[in-house]
Amino acid sequence: MWRTRYLKRRIVLILLLGGGFIFFLSSKLSKNSKLVPDEYEIKHTLLRQPFEWQPKVSEVQLGEGNSTKKQICRNSVQGKSLIVDERGYVCNRTSVDARGCCHVKRGSRLTSKHRCDTCSKNACCVVYEYCVACCLKPDKRPLLQKILTNAREGLDIALGSVSDHFELCLAKCRTSSSSVQHENSYRNAFAKHCFGENPPELQALVT
Amino acid sequence: MFTEYIVSFNGYYKPQARKRFLTAALHDSGVLSWKIIPRDNLAYDYPSDFDVVKLNDGSHAGIEALESHPIIKRITPHKKLSRSLKFVKDVEQSEVEDRECNETSSNMCPQTFHSSRSHNRKSLSLGATYWHSPARFKGRRLLRAVPKQIVSALQAEILWNMGFTGAGVKVAIFDTGLSENHPHFKKGRIKDRTNWTNEKTLDDGLGHGTFVAGVIASYKDCLGFAPDADIHVYRVFTNNQVSYTSWFLDAFNYAILKKINVLNLSIGGPDFMDHPFVDKVWELTANKVIMISAIGNDGPLYGTLNNPADQMDVIGVGGINFDNQIARFSSRGMTTWELPHGYGRLKPDIVTYGSAVRGSALKGGCRSLSGTSVASPVVAGAVTLLYSAVLDRANIINPASMKQALMASARRLPEVNMFEQGHGKLDLIRAYQTLRTYKPQASLSPGYIDLTECPYMWPYCSQPIYYGAMPVVVNVTVLNGMGVSGVIVNKPRWEPYIPHHGNYIDVAFSYSKTLWPWSGYLAISISVAKSGASYEGIAQGQVTLTVESPPEGEETAPRQTILNLPVKVLIISTPPRSKRVLWDQYHNLRYPPGYFPRDNLRMKNDPLDWNGDHIHTNFKDMYHHLRTAGYFVEVLGSPLTCFDASQYGTLLIVDAEEEYFPEEVTKLKRDIDNGLSVVIFADWYNVTVMKKVKFYDENTRQWWMPDTGGVNIPALNDLLAPLGMAFSDKVYEGDFTLGDHDNCFWMLSAILEYTAYNNLVQLFSNQDKAVISPMELPNRMEGNHLHRYSKVLEGHLGTARSRILPTCPRVIYAPSHPINKSAPTNLFQQQKLLSVRLEESLPLGRQSVEDLIESLETKEKLGYGGVEPHVQGAGPIQDIDSNSVFPVLAFIATGLVLLFLLNQYYRGRSKPRRKRPRLKKFHTILYGTKGPSV
Repeated sequence: MWRTRYLKRRIVLILLLGGGFIFFLSSKLSKNSKLVPDEYEIKHTLLRQPFEWQPKVSEVQLGEGNSTKKQICRNSVQGKSLIVDERGYVCNRTSVDARGCCHVKRGSRLTSKHRCDTCSKNACCVVYEYCVACCLKPDKRPLLQKILTNAREGLDIALGSVSDHFELCLAKCRTSSSSVQHENSYRNAFAKHCFGENPPELQALVT
Repeated sequence: MFTEYIVSFNGYYKPQARKRFLTAALHDSGVLSWKIIPRDNLAYDYPSDFDVVKLNDGSHAGIEALESHPIIKRITPHKKLSRSLKFVKDVEQSEVEDRECNETSSNMCPQTFHSSRSHNRKSLSLGATYWHSPARFKGRRLLRAVPKQIVSALQAEILWNMGFTGAGVKVAIFDTGLSENHPHFKKGRIKDRTNWTNEKTLDDGLGHGTFVAGVIASYKDCLGFAPDADIHVYRVFTNNQVSYTSWFLDAFNYAILKKINVLNLSIGGPDFMDHPFVDKVWELTANKVIMISAIGNDGPLYGTLNNPADQMDVIGVGGINFDNQIARFSSRGMTTWELPHGYGRLKPDIVTYGSAVRGSALKGGCRSLSGTSVASPVVAGAVTLLYSAVLDRANIINPASMKQALMASARRLPEVNMFEQGHGKLDLIRAYQTLRTYKPQASLSPGYIDLTECPYMWPYCSQPIYYGAMPVVVNVTVLNGMGVSGVIVNKPRWEPYIPHHGNYIDVAFSYSKTLWPWSGYLAISISVAKSGASYEGIAQGQVTLTVESPPEGEETAPRQTILNLPVKVLIISTPPRSKRVLWDQYHNLRYPPGYFPRDNLRMKNDPLDWNGDHIHTNFKDMYHHLRTAGYFVEVLGSPLTCFDASQYGTLLIVDAEEEYFPEEVTKLKRDIDNGLSVVIFADWYNVTVMKKVKFYDENTRQWWMPDTGGVNIPALNDLLAPLGMAFSDKVYEGDFTLGDHDNCFWMLSAILEYTAYNNLVQLFSNQDKAVISPMELPNRMEGNHLHRYSKVLEGHLGTARSRILPTCPRVIYAPSHPINKSAPTNLFQQQKLLSVRLEESLPLGRQSVEDLIESLETKEKLGYGGVEPHVQGAGPIQDIDSNSVFPVLAFIATGLVLLFLLNQYYRGRSKPRRKRPRLKKFHTILYGTKGPSV
């Protein structure tokens, strides 16, 4: 007789324990499945994202002129009057050729390679196109390598998900959250395009 | 001719008897077919004295026969009264109510009600009780036919039937996020979800983002336009409805990197001077991202456009209801960037359904939502669908060409002006036809200037032009589909039509040096030439300009479009001085950039004065009143030194926040001495109150202190000082009555009656003279930052000082090149985009939406080889659960197995002599009830 009662108590306890365990597990895991893998996934994809330092368009191929292989330069698309192509040439919109590259031979004074004309020492430039051109300079690679690694580890998707040198420079030179103060004004309205590690120098607002 | 008659008998008879009489009466008449209209009511079985008879032929003979029958007393034609006719009045009434309430969110209702009728109400609370009183809802209401599917309201099925469903187009939804497994989206279509907020989630907690995404790409229940588009979800708005410029900057950068095609932003704000944000939107569209944004929910007040929808490179969308009326909430009025010197641009660009639209709810199923937040994704979805339909011509698609196609194909709504409807209502199918045959080109918005066309060209059409007036400025937007960057070559030419007296108009231009991105402005100032001073009538001409963009691809010659802009005006002779009123725009300051508080301190949730304070925006009612009273209103966008006071009767300075140049003060004194009247409407100014209305701004994360009060009283007192007058800083609140007038416009009329005609209204002269004891005049608040935003003051070593008086703008009129051309009678008809070939015809066969849902769903299933276990026919609620049910089921199963094992273990240890039937044991385990003891 007392054994049956004992049995019932045990079973009730086991049931409670089991139920509690299941509830605990399900709630814990469902939370996990929502948040942690997100971040994990981002980090994973960012760190696995391939990156190419070598330029995709080689000078030689381009130099051959009307080769059968139609190479198409990527360029900065957006400019009001200037365009920078992926080789690092900045030119006027009107001297972009059919392949999207800056026409080098036209001898325009504006057409130039890797020029850092409007960039200051802290790697911030006045003109976006010159920022990209300067950033594409081969000697900037160690700096950019560091920036890229930081971006990927810091889960900066906007900067971390680029796949080559040109894309990195296009993305890095854009104004971003680090370019503003008080949200609605630039830290430095003049030189706001930076490819370096530091944000633009803080400029006091006009008083 | 009536074929139904009421036949009255001379007594009461049973139905059978009546039928016998009628048969007998008509027997010899030659009427072959007739019948008694059955009356289905309780009285039928009782004797009656009339019948309704329908005579199908020979009714004349029939009537005669019936009339000659002795028992029949009278025959009267039966007029069928249509119920709908009776209903009309009711319908109208309820419609008005609907317009006032249903379209706005319910909590908006009482507020807007007051503002539109405030002059009739004494107390705010009274209005509120009236609004909520049950009496309001007594009247019958006709429910508006709300289509079940927004896609069928725009005929998206036609494009779906042609095989276009948005495939291959990347559409970005900048909103409150979207959950990964929402049942309304096809598996694998949500390509990317990113979070840019400080909340650690990608999911939507509000339902706004889900709704917007649903309108664009849902494939189930409540359909979206482009179910096969690649959805990119950007979470930029938190569940607490907070967002920062910096989040947007990074998110937009990512959208550029991901080469997004279409971007919907159902979010907006008044700060068009947030340069980092505005620059970024330009950058975005320059990278060929078609941006569609909601124009705002701040209607029906004018001057309430939201940024970024008010930008030239963005498609700004307003809302209408399913009755094709502009939704009350939809923001409207010109843009206010250009004030005070210029005149605003035409916005919104187009309108579409934004009221009571059905879309996806947060957890599956559908819900209705209203707002321009809804109208914007309707256009974004349509644009995505259009994009996929012309993917073979992807090189011609860009933000400008898409906008041009939408605007050129839109259907204009009657009786609505252009600052409310833009180019009209979105027409998806016509937009498709336009885009199919589109050739890269530039176009103008508006496409013609007809200052006589009412109501479309309001406010231009409300006042004719005359010699000596301030030039009328029309701000035309140039859209350039040929390239992201372009120029206006040479100068625009003014070509007056000789047969149409075009030479009586002078025209001046100002325009963008570079059209970038995809757009620019062309402002046209129109005045009457000296030679036209005595002319009265219509004058016409045209503006010709050439837009050029660099060649693209294999082209060698630059791309060019030559544009014609017809101009039509009505000239009258100059009205007398007394009737001319000048509105001072120059001394109005507002947000952005500075904190200029509202005049109404009770509007705490919107403390910034941001509507432009123009006579055509938030002072529109006043303009209307002045025009109705016969006054001619002109706008002064430069300092008071820049107008000829001998031409005007009254100068209106209303709600002015700006300071005054010393030169202005002396000049105005001189003008007043020479007979100019000045009417000043001031508002509150009190330093203590100003300190109290400071607030913490979420976006800039700063405390905001007002730079003036409702107006700048100390500055006005400086202006009035030579006259020995001043305002005090006492702040009063409430309504006042003068005589039995409580209408503020009555007082405006009375004052103008005095300033214009020197007639002092009795009521004023009867007032007792009050003697005011001398008091201290208000001073400017210490440490205010007015000089940052002022055109008059500048900061100098920590103190503010007056700038140098700017020179008055001189309008340089363009040389005219008269041409002998006859103008078309209807300028509107003329507008069409050039196309490459003739318009294609569309397949006419239309499937019903339900069929399409089915076909879409089957396609989806086939794509997954039928493996996907789809709960067909299950309601939306079951559907959501299916995702979360699996893990739970798995756990219950493991739990059961665990219990079973434990049970086995226990049984192994227990003594075998205790034998019980298995069933009972299970019973005990499951329910824990006492079993029968052994």
